[in-house]
Amino acid sequence: MSERLLQIMGSRWTRLVLVSLVLLGLQTTVLNDMRPFSVMIPVMLLFAVTAGTLYGSEIGAISGLIIGVMYDCVLSTPLGLASLVFGAAAYAAGLLPFFVREPTWWTRAITIGIVGAVGELAFPLAQSMVGFSGRFQAHVFVVVAFVVVVGMLVAPLLLPVCRWTLKESLVG
Amino acid sequence: MALLVLSSIILVTLDLQGSTATKSLRSIFGTVFRPVESVARVITRPATNAWFGITHYNDVTAENELLREKIAQQEGAAVAAAASVRLSQELLALNGLPTLAGINSVSAQVIGDSPSNFAQSVEIDQGTESGIKVGMPVLNAAGLVGKITQVFANRAVVMLITDPQYALSVKIINAPKTTVTTVPNPESTSAVTIVSVPETIDPQITVPTVPATSNIAGFTPGSIAAPRTPIISSSLTIPPGSNVSVRETGILEGRGAGRVPTVRFVDAAQRFGVVQPGSPIVTAGGSLSLAPPDIVVGTVSRVKERLGTAGPLLEIDIVADLSNLSFVRILLYQPITERTAP
Repeated sequence: MSERLLQIMGSRWTRLVLVSLVLLGLQTTVLNDMRPFSVMIPVMLLFAVTAGTLYGSEIGAISGLIIGVMYDCVLSTPLGLASLVFGAAAYAAGLLPFFVREPTWWTRAITIGIVGAVGELAFPLAQSMVGFSGRFQAHVFVVVAFVVVVGMLVAPLLLPVCRWTLKESLVG
Repeated sequence: MALLVLSSIILVTLDLQGSTATKSLRSIFGTVFRPVESVARVITRPATNAWFGITHYNDVTAENELLREKIAQQEGAAVAAAASVRLSQELLALNGLPTLAGINSVSAQVIGDSPSNFAQSVEIDQGTESGIKVGMPVLNAAGLVGKITQVFANRAVVMLITDPQYALSVKIINAPKTTVTTVPNPESTSAVTIVSVPETIDPQITVPTVPATSNIAGFTPGSIAAPRTPIISSSLTIPPGSNVSVRETGILEGRGAGRVPTVRFVDAAQRFGVVQPGSPIVTAGGSLSLAPPDIVVGTVSRVKERLGTAGPLLEIDIVADLSNLSFVRILLYQPITERTAP
């Protein structure tokens, strides 16, 4: 019983939930207040995309789903919308090895910036699909441009955190 | 990937159907996440304060000066307004009409904004335990702020009036009709325009009775010797309510962050004349409206004329400062159509 509990506690998914909870705490407090150019840094989305670039499409999609559901719980949009967008973005980021043979940290950073921005753009699109109209405005382009730049800058911080979080085993 | 899409679509469908499972999930997550958020807020407060100190210092000092000046201007006006409101409430009560003062309310603190670049909502620290229900109007000291869209045991989500999903029937209160008179200036080539002379009606108007005349062509009244009728003054009393501001209704709609809400469906041929910038906008009320009548929303900032029967589009300056909400008041109001029998 205790062995099983330890196994669950040591699982990469448990770590993902705990780390995401901390990131969500930052997202809803400091990052929500500090909005350069009136844009919030979507750290949850960038973290999901980072998971995709590091561990491939499958792990990325599952991570995106989990992170997205957590993010959905604090939003007023329908539950499952952010998980769909985050999962799809992380899945897309996981396709990086198909385009770059041996990804380096900076190719990953570029991918995180670009795919993060595409994911942020997809969010109002997904909202429109479920009837939340009026989200597409000129401000979206500012958001996309900002997320590309910030994604690349934040990536060097997110990469080691995500690598540790989704490591299969903490030992060795 | 297919599993991800399927799971997400199932979740979206369940949530849109109002499933209790998704509501419970949100509620449980909220309970677990609240302490984490509180700790994060405490830890990150210095960083947030430093950020606001760097980015908003000049704005705050300028705003302070402006506010001091405004307070000085408004102190006198507030006393007169309070007296008018009091009088109005007494009159409404005397006539058995509902007033805002007769509706119970709950005060709440804003505990968070929507962590999204697109949604316009805030979270408050009161919920179903305080009697709050979905749809109830939310105000602050200045005016209407939004409406409740989600309620939990001791928190609720308020959709702000700037959210693109927000719509509400409102009334535009136009000022009394004005007349613009153009007088030719004999000393110069340009005409002199006398700006907006208010058209007021004196309750006591003396209408002179004119001598009898004829409209028959070619017949000059003066050609026959009719006995001269003496001019008799008669007094016509017009009720003083005739120069009271008249109202027109429309639908207020939010347009997202950084954009002012608009009012549509205003009658193209308004019976009260042209809508003037600065005209107050208040809630219309009614049996189907989620807000009671006469809550102040804002003023008309710009009138966009449109072709055909579309009617003008009014841009609104909201009186409530939505970027700086701390405390709000929730009116425990439900329209008659929403009330359930006890």
